[in-house]
Amino acid sequence: MIKLQRRVVDAIEKAKDPTELYPWLQSAIELEHSTIPPYLTAMFSLKPGTNDHIAQLIRSIVVQEMLHMTIAGNILVAIGGSPSINTPSFVPQYPGPLPLSIGGSGFVVGIEPFSKPLVQNVFMTIEEPEHPIPVITLAVAEQVPDFATIGDFYAALKKKLKEFPDSIYGHVDRQVLQWFAPSLLFPITNRESAGHAIDIIVDQGEGTSTDPFQTPGDPAHYYKFGEIFYGRTIVKTAGGFAYAGDPVPFDPAGVYPMRPNPKIHYFEPGTPARIKIEQFSYAYSSLLNALHVAFNGQPAQINRAIGLMYELKMIAVSLMQTPLGDGSNMTAGPSFEYIDAVQAAVA
Amino acid sequence: MSYLDTPRLHFTGHFQADVSTINNEVTFYDISTFTPDDQQLTTDGTKGGWNPEGTGIFRLVGCRVTGARLGNRQITTFAEDPVIGMALENADDRVFGKLVDLDPEQQAVSQIWGMRLRLTDGKDNDLFAGDFRPAAFINLWRRQQRAAFLDQTLAAVYQSVLQGMIWEGHVDSAVLDALRRASADDCLSICMNVYGYGRDPKIPRYTLGSVAGTIGPYFAGEPKHFVLGRQLVSATPLNPTVPLGGVYSFQCKVSEDQKTISADFGNCLQIKDASGAFDQNTSPPLMLAVAKQEGSNPLSSVAAGDVAILGNVNYLNDGWYAQTGGVQDFDYSADPWLVANIGARPLLLLTPLAADNSSYAVLVSETLAGWYARADDFVARLEPGATATFDIYATRYGKPVATAVNFFSNLTQMGGGPDIGTPTDAITYPPQLQTDGHGKAVLSVVASAAGPGIPRIYIDGQLYGIGYQPAAQPAQAFTNPWNFISILAFSRVDAPDQPTWHANVQPILQQYGNLYPIMSKHLIDLGNYDSVVKHLKILRLAFSLPVEDANYMPVIRDLSAGKRAIILKWLDNPLKGEPSPARAALVPTKPAGVEVDLEPMQRRSKTEALMKAAARRREERK
Repeated sequence: MIKLQRRVVDAIEKAKDPTELYPWLQSAIELEHSTIPPYLTAMFSLKPGTNDHIAQLIRSIVVQEMLHMTIAGNILVAIGGSPSINTPSFVPQYPGPLPLSIGGSGFVVGIEPFSKPLVQNVFMTIEEPEHPIPVITLAVAEQVPDFATIGDFYAALKKKLKEFPDSIYGHVDRQVLQWFAPSLLFPITNRESAGHAIDIIVDQGEGTSTDPFQTPGDPAHYYKFGEIFYGRTIVKTAGGFAYAGDPVPFDPAGVYPMRPNPKIHYFEPGTPARIKIEQFSYAYSSLLNALHVAFNGQPAQINRAIGLMYELKMIAVSLMQTPLGDGSNMTAGPSFEYIDAVQAAVA
Repeated sequence: MSYLDTPRLHFTGHFQADVSTINNEVTFYDISTFTPDDQQLTTDGTKGGWNPEGTGIFRLVGCRVTGARLGNRQITTFAEDPVIGMALENADDRVFGKLVDLDPEQQAVSQIWGMRLRLTDGKDNDLFAGDFRPAAFINLWRRQQRAAFLDQTLAAVYQSVLQGMIWEGHVDSAVLDALRRASADDCLSICMNVYGYGRDPKIPRYTLGSVAGTIGPYFAGEPKHFVLGRQLVSATPLNPTVPLGGVYSFQCKVSEDQKTISADFGNCLQIKDASGAFDQNTSPPLMLAVAKQEGSNPLSSVAAGDVAILGNVNYLNDGWYAQTGGVQDFDYSADPWLVANIGARPLLLLTPLAADNSSYAVLVSETLAGWYARADDFVARLEPGATATFDIYATRYGKPVATAVNFFSNLTQMGGGPDIGTPTDAITYPPQLQTDGHGKAVLSVVASAAGPGIPRIYIDGQLYGIGYQPAAQPAQAFTNPWNFISILAFSRVDAPDQPTWHANVQPILQQYGNLYPIMSKHLIDLGNYDSVVKHLKILRLAFSLPVEDANYMPVIRDLSAGKRAIILKWLDNPLKGEPSPARAALVPTKPAGVEVDLEPMQRRSKTEALMKAAARRREERK
């Protein structure tokens, strides 16, 4: 179970004015975004034509994280706040802790190629529900009462939002409502819609307390990563649930040998790896800029962000096929750094 | 006003042109014979060529302002003006621009689409930002003399405008303040000389080239893609990319008020290798001059007494190219003859023939008797029944002139695959137009409602070329081989009531899937029904965007409105249908491409396309 500091939940509970929730909804946006770079990198590192099932599972999780980020952004917009997405501090330092120091000081998330230990040690930890449903081969997680969970964080937000009147909601024309089904992404107009939207975030991430499936056939994130790690889909059994369904095959040869946690400055100016990693960071920064514009009054500009997401994948694919050039067999990979301009291409 | 006026900025750096190379081979458009093996990267001129997984991205890389001119003052340091050192960057809120060939049989008008540029000092706001009006390069020539393996030795120049300008940031720059004041119509004029492009996957320069350019003011109503000024045109009798005098065509602008002439040498001088350096050992001294007599034939040499020298070209000085973008100003106010006559006598670029400067070789001269015509835009994609218009300008010694301009079919620089230009009646245009008092006429090219049919069998549409020249231009004049209009006229196709995957959509999308594996392997497998139906929403967006949008699909912009309508209709109701067993039998034997002997370095490239076009012309003459 991933933990965050109790004081966060305390602060939300003590809020007396909707504006006091702005920083926490901003934190929610940052939190939902923070898992996307590590998940995407793992997905990008899978060679096309191999490990397709795993790639599809991760992709479905990433898409939902994007939905959650959008929902958090819309709630902040609805109650009069302005999401801040286009700054260097919006992006976590990878490798490093996630926003709100979730997971405790020792929990470090990096930018790494796909591996089963990465799935188990990092991704399943991020997504671990408050009360995991026992699935055979899984131990029940220990609980530490001094800490709160992401579920607690959202529960506190939902509870607090219910305390404020419906009159604090508005700005529907500034909310980003494209690209997801209306049942998942809808205007935040009152306490009820805000509460329902938060339920979607929690259910998709954690599942419900009695069922690993967020909707029939679609397990919550934690259990999808479980399927990847254990190599079998999750199925209901007479005694509960088991990773005993269809195989989810993993071919270790189908992963680009990307050097973990690449940074722009690791690479010499003028090298192919440097040129491409800067191109990736630039396009990623453009994506954050486009999202910022979309969530600050121009929601139609979300289409530019969508285009950038596809372009990022193309650049990432190229990066992961670019040798480091240090005599190793490793390749370059994406760096999620916020930059304004690229350096000279040729030293 | 244009980039040849002041104030102006000069920038240098690199560009990336991550073009796909599979579509350089015309026969790869045939989906009935294409195999996955044709997507293999090779550097020997076979299969998919040197960059089969190209994304089409065109972007500036690491470009910085390295010089400026304000009035008659050349500025080269940050201390003189803080604009020096600023970054000229791509848009930072959308995808990168794209580089797009018109057709596999016309690869010599590669256009930049969807590129927005901004000037930034790394602080909060951009100093300015504007959209690069889509433009094709021109004056493609063998500028680079020595090549590393697979180097593209051809260079060219883009001239366009940045439009929809936004000025935001605040910095104490006299150059930027003056540039903003001088610019009207929310536009700036921009010129980019591109050279030194690397194609060897093993080198850091792979898909990268160098750029040196200039940004200056622009006035509404002026041409956007050339300077309404003095035009020096090199002799290229044997090969359009090889000038007899070793110097390529260039343009100048006379300011009679300032009594200066600004000449753009940015794309006309040979460089020794991809670094862009001028060869200090072999580069001759050059001077710009005015001939005392008009002359009735192109000159090859002149005596010293027959010319007035404007000055030496400073191209061998340290830092000259970066600090000026190749633009040099010559002050002729001290020479009364020049003041009186520069407007009516031809400009010449000279090099001394004798040590005592008693005679000169003429390397390039102004067009004979000063006659010149130019189509501002010169590339169009034309739907059946549609009309494309082109602004045509006629000048004499750089001044707009009312005169007759002739138009005629010109397929000289295109082709190499299936026959082009047929049927001839699929497009119509007047044989002659009269320019007005501003030297301007508008050429309308009308596509027949029926379109050209499918004369090239496995490629949509047909290519046409329209040459033009002033009726008064003497027959012996040198003409710029790139001054013609390229038109891709699309085939007519009507959308069925209910298109299906197998009958209507797969044949269109499969071709894109074959030619652009970066897309089909990593994003959406366009030839695969299951993959496509998983992405209906994003495909509907991409196929619905305006052509100027950087996310427009297909990147190559060769999809007709008719086929687009079929796809969009199908996306609303994506029926699979049944494969038609008869279809394979209906595919006619494809016309073969022309065979030419090529070195590996020449294959899958513009050189191959140009050589095939030349071979086709030779066959036709037999």
